[in-house]
Amino acid sequence: MTLQGCLYLAIVMFFFQGSSAQTGEDFGNETALYAETKQVNQFFRRFNCEEGRNGERFYPGNPLYRDPEFRLGYLDILFDGESSSIASADKQDFIREVCKPSLPTYLDFHGGDWLAEVNTRFLYEGTERELTLFMRLEADRLGHKWVIDRVQFAPYLKRFSQRPAGESEFLHPLSHELDFMNLSKVFRSSKDLQGYVPVGYEPDQLTLFLLDVAAGKLTFRTVTNMRFHFFQVEGWYFELRDLQRAGYNTGWLITRLERVSAEERTLLLRDIYHATR
Amino acid sequence: MQRTNNGFRTLSIFALFFLFALSASVHAQQTTPQNDDYISPERKKAIDSLALEKVRDLSKYIAIVGDKSTPFSEADRVIQRTLELFAPDSEMGVSSVNSTEILYYGVRTYLERLMQLNYDRVEIEWYNIQYISDLERQPDGKYVGVITIYQRFSGYKEGYEGNVLLYKDTTKKDITVYVERKETQIGGRTIGFWDVMLGDVRVTETRR
Repeated sequence: MTLQGCLYLAIVMFFFQGSSAQTGEDFGNETALYAETKQVNQFFRRFNCEEGRNGERFYPGNPLYRDPEFRLGYLDILFDGESSSIASADKQDFIREVCKPSLPTYLDFHGGDWLAEVNTRFLYEGTERELTLFMRLEADRLGHKWVIDRVQFAPYLKRFSQRPAGESEFLHPLSHELDFMNLSKVFRSSKDLQGYVPVGYEPDQLTLFLLDVAAGKLTFRTVTNMRFHFFQVEGWYFELRDLQRAGYNTGWLITRLERVSAEERTLLLRDIYHATR
Repeated sequence: MQRTNNGFRTLSIFALFFLFALSASVHAQQTTPQNDDYISPERKKAIDSLALEKVRDLSKYIAIVGDKSTPFSEADRVIQRTLELFAPDSEMGVSSVNSTEILYYGVRTYLERLMQLNYDRVEIEWYNIQYISDLERQPDGKYVGVITIYQRFSGYKEGYEGNVLLYKDTTKKDITVYVERKETQIGGRTIGFWDVMLGDVRVTETRR
């Protein structure tokens, strides 16, 4: 075991040492289940230091509620300890920044700037196809709900893939003087109108998705995977995934961490959405 | 005259105070229904206990239904009791360690499948650990939470030398809990109470 691994285990044992003693039953390693970040809700609570080591809720007024020292221990175990893509220096900087005594940063469930990427399978034209839903929380009437914000589906991209306009595929610049009578020829001669829409046009995949589901062309099969993208900590992006594996470093953990400027954030979001612009 | 002015001023202040108090009282009455819906930490603890009670009932019922020694008529009766714990249209979403695919079953179908498992003896044990989320309010005003529990399943077949373990797994169950403020009439009085129903359950096989 590496020095880092030993240190990690020591932190976990410090946090959850009392847990197995409370269970009174031995179903293998129950301490690991305590250590696991079992829900996204628990990730929020641990990140903000709003719960104790056995999951009991800390409310304002409790001396440990958002206690900076207790919080430091939690933040460290919320990272995927096996990820080589998270630079140790970045992780330490991130923890230092969110725990800054003068201006600590807490995650807010209703605070926006985070989204879910849900990988699904739909039956489309006789075969099962991967389709990605991007979801976000929205306030509605008395509470909140998850809404489908965007869709990414390869067949839609293929159908609308960019091709250079043919030599004669245009409506000349004085068409308006003739009440656009040349539209008649366009619609008569071609079903592919890509030459007649703006360069770089991108279809609204969500609208296509809604139309296809309503028309019975897309039938839901299953959810295959999911992850969350967080932009709530200013200057940072992190990805949250559920890692089910042996050991203590399991459950909902930060699997990717990047320092991002405002411009980089836009580019990163474009990357997440698999958008071309 | 001075005394009268002072007396009038005192009376005016008193009247103003009375009006303010009256208005505050009406306002409080108007906002009472909203306050009734507020879930304080103490109320949350009470609701958590109620929800856990339902989850324990569910575990107990699942163990009875899965037990081969349970007569069919008894199992059928317990299935009916189990269904009463759930909100209509609740489903079980099941996945295994070998597949990322989630299979969706109605609660009755899930229990009937459990009843039909081809083992002579089934052991369903529950880890003494649970995690209860915060309660979030839905657009319709109901609250929703998730309770996570862990279960170990062992299926045995009778052999010459006693029962032989054929299959075992450990599953994580994320159970939806709906919490709703309701009212009932008792002896002509309206009594408010919090009703808890179980909803969709996500069953993830974590290891064998």
